[in-house]
Amino acid sequence: MMLLNYICCVFLIVLGLYTVIVKKNILKIVIGLGIIDYGVNILIISIGYNPGGTAPIFTPGEIKPGTFFVDPIPQALTLTSIVIGACVTAMALSIVIKIYKKYGTLDSTKIRRLNG
Amino acid sequence: MIQHFPVLAIMTLFLASFLVVLFGSRNKIVRGIITMVASTIPLVLMICLIKPIMIEGQVISYWLGNWEPVNGWAIGIGIEVDALSLFFALIVTLTVFLSAFYSLKYMSRDDTLEKYYVLFLMLSGAVLGLVLTGDLFNLFIMIEILTFAAVALTAFRNNEDGPLEAAFKYLVVGSIGSSLTLTGVILLYSQLHTLNMAQISAMLQNGQNSTTVFAFALLLTGFSIKAFIVPVHPVAADAYTAAPTSASMALAGMVNKTGVYGIIRLLYIIFMTMGLSSVQNLIVTIGTVTMFLGVTMALNQHDFKRLLAFHSISQIGYVITAIGLGTALGLTGGLYHAMNHTLFKGMLFLCAGAVLYSAGTTNLDRLGGLAKKMPQTCAIFLIGAFSISGIPPFNGFVSKWLIYQATYERASQTGNFGFALVTVIAVVVSVMTLASFIKVSQSVFFGELPAEFSNVKEAPVSMRIPMWIMAILCILTGVLPAQVYQYLIRPAVNAVLSPVKYINVMMGNGYAEKFLSKVQAAPDKSVALAGYWQPESWLLLFVIVLAAVTVAALLGKKDRGVSSSSAEVTDGKYATFYSGEKNEFSRVGGSDLFWGLKYNLRHYFGFIGNIHSGVVNDYALWAVMIFAVYIVFAFIFLL
Amino acid sequence: MLHLKNNLTENDTIVRNAGGFFLPFALMFGFYVIMHGNLSPGGGFQGGVCVAGAVILLFLGYGYDTLVKAIHPEFIRKNEAVGATAYVVIALMGILFGANFCRNVFFRNGQVGDLFSAGTIGYMNYAVGYKVLTGVGFLLILLFGTLNTGNGEEDDSQDSAESKGGEAE
Repeated sequence: MMLLNYICCVFLIVLGLYTVIVKKNILKIVIGLGIIDYGVNILIISIGYNPGGTAPIFTPGEIKPGTFFVDPIPQALTLTSIVIGACVTAMALSIVIKIYKKYGTLDSTKIRRLNG
Repeated sequence: MIQHFPVLAIMTLFLASFLVVLFGSRNKIVRGIITMVASTIPLVLMICLIKPIMIEGQVISYWLGNWEPVNGWAIGIGIEVDALSLFFALIVTLTVFLSAFYSLKYMSRDDTLEKYYVLFLMLSGAVLGLVLTGDLFNLFIMIEILTFAAVALTAFRNNEDGPLEAAFKYLVVGSIGSSLTLTGVILLYSQLHTLNMAQISAMLQNGQNSTTVFAFALLLTGFSIKAFIVPVHPVAADAYTAAPTSASMALAGMVNKTGVYGIIRLLYIIFMTMGLSSVQNLIVTIGTVTMFLGVTMALNQHDFKRLLAFHSISQIGYVITAIGLGTALGLTGGLYHAMNHTLFKGMLFLCAGAVLYSAGTTNLDRLGGLAKKMPQTCAIFLIGAFSISGIPPFNGFVSKWLIYQATYERASQTGNFGFALVTVIAVVVSVMTLASFIKVSQSVFFGELPAEFSNVKEAPVSMRIPMWIMAILCILTGVLPAQVYQYLIRPAVNAVLSPVKYINVMMGNGYAEKFLSKVQAAPDKSVALAGYWQPESWLLLFVIVLAAVTVAALLGKKDRGVSSSSAEVTDGKYATFYSGEKNEFSRVGGSDLFWGLKYNLRHYFGFIGNIHSGVVNDYALWAVMIFAVYIVFAFIFLL
Repeated sequence: MLHLKNNLTENDTIVRNAGGFFLPFALMFGFYVIMHGNLSPGGGFQGGVCVAGAVILLFLGYGYDTLVKAIHPEFIRKNEAVGATAYVVIALMGILFGANFCRNVFFRNGQVGDLFSAGTIGYMNYAVGYKVLTGVGFLLILLFGTLNTGNGEEDDSQDSAESKGGEAE
């Protein structure tokens, strides 16, 4: 069952890289960056899973030291990674708004005044 | 008390950036005071750390929240400062201090300045945090903060169109690099269940399976994108041009050193693969291609800052080549050149900023003759140009000589002819660097002054002080190489070549011996530094030659006829050659110089000019291409 | 909310009334998630984003001009720095008390399962929650500002960049 998660993660990362390389509309490139981040987040969560484990939260009476629970560190890493994904999307979108006001187009083959 | 210094230095920068948001919106003086205090404190703290770490050889190991390792497993975030980290931290804090000091006057013509200082302080805190940390995920977080702050600083002047485009390309390629780095960190965690670099390095000696080899390729790609080596370098050229100059100096001086630091940590300490000759060949090949491509692209440029950016890429190629050799002499040359590169490249960018501030343009085809109006800037620029070309007695000569010696010695050690070819290419690139800077100095500073620049003034005093500080440091590190080597470079090289100490201090004594099958002792450190060369006599010779040239130039000036001090630059610049009109002055500079070389090799120069196309999809494609090369290489040679 | 009813620019009764009805529940849920960070899934960041979602409810119901009058963007932006400074100062308390950075030094009271049993880390949680709610709220106000025809914020990319950079740290 975890194999399905890993296949999905690789598929998302490759799809995101394909979108960034091939698509000409810069909004689609920003969406592609987001897809890469989602793929990496699924990978992080899938790694922390122990089959048969429960949630790693101490509540009195339910969890004693010695209970078998899933790994809590990848959950913290995923949280940080989701925050970073949101920040990258926000910053990229604000740059796209300014580029559209300046250049008048969203085509990446026309936004190339710095070359050579 | 001394073990709190690294954390205090990092947190001072972050806290100051938040305080500038609170208090710095309207009041310029408060903002300046907060920035300067926050830039001085980390420099002072790092200098206080020189004595315990560099001279006595301690390593500071600091666990956040006092979470010590339990049963041999690291459960907290650790900060470990050894001599290599302190070496890079000194470079970083010095750059931060000088850049903040320069920007007080340089940025005074822009508005919404508190956002600039917030971003700049956050960039500085992130770079300092990156070189001082001992935890892989903390390293990734610092890379992310660094990418955000650098992208926003590149897009700072968003009323022009160049910065926006450069920021978008930097964001796309940088974000791909960060995602790949995170995937590498997670794959390492899944195999070893720890995030501490010392423990990972110990546990990886048990043998590598295919997951850790794939993680090696991912991490190496991420750090290559940070260091801007071929083929992900075009983003760097755009970003250094578009950023405001004090931020551009910080980017070229600090940020690509983090990529170099990451590659050193990855290859020497975490994976310990530098003994394999295949890894050495790969890194040396990439470094050589970088240095050659950087300097040939620089001959094509018309813009001052873009030319300096391509030279920066080429010098990082030198550092990567020297690091990839795997010997102590190569590491010495590489680290020395990294330090020198920050000093002279920062100084050259500050000169470009002074020219932009006074004259208003950086186009090489329009400038000319500024040496009469800006003599001190011209002198500092000449010191920088001599340093980068490797002319004694300046500091570029010392480090380049070490690199030539290291590659040639490696060629004779292994019998591989390719390393001798690397030496030849390095010398040729040095000559072409000198040619390129002769072109720039003739275009910008010498020659005749056009009429539009006749009331250009010298750069203000507070902008000249950081430039003079860096110039004096350039001369000092060139004239006193033995002291610099003994106090700064040699402890750092020792720290890189002996990871056993790194592991033992972090995880408790004796930990490394449980995992490493043979404990490698640190190699013997008797490096004959550049042989018989005496820097003081070269300085004397340089001064004598300079005095002779000045006297000759001044004597010859009286014999020339009346030359107009400011001539009209019309389109008939070449008219005197084919129409027989008498013209006092025909301006030679910019693209006119070295046109013969560019014409004879026009297929090559046209080809590399065309493949830097400016389309963001191409740059992302190259990043994925180098990732594919690393994957293939890692699975063939490391598994 | 009386002064808001006098400045309406939208005419959609259902959206306006539903937004006004659900706003206290959204805010209460967000603050619940922040405060119970040590007892249930959630914590500073998640709760902060839930509270900032209330900004969207206000925008949908009442329009952009009313939103700016109700929540002053400059005030929100300064408060984000207050939250960040509080986080760093609380973390530096560990050094003042003789231990390392981020050490849990206020942990003497409370049993496992109480609301205030997390010590220093609990206060850092509240600081993070406050920072995220002001930061994401400010970002949403900026992005909504560019939706109107006419002038948007001139330097929104720097504002959003610094707020997002501060959050990621």
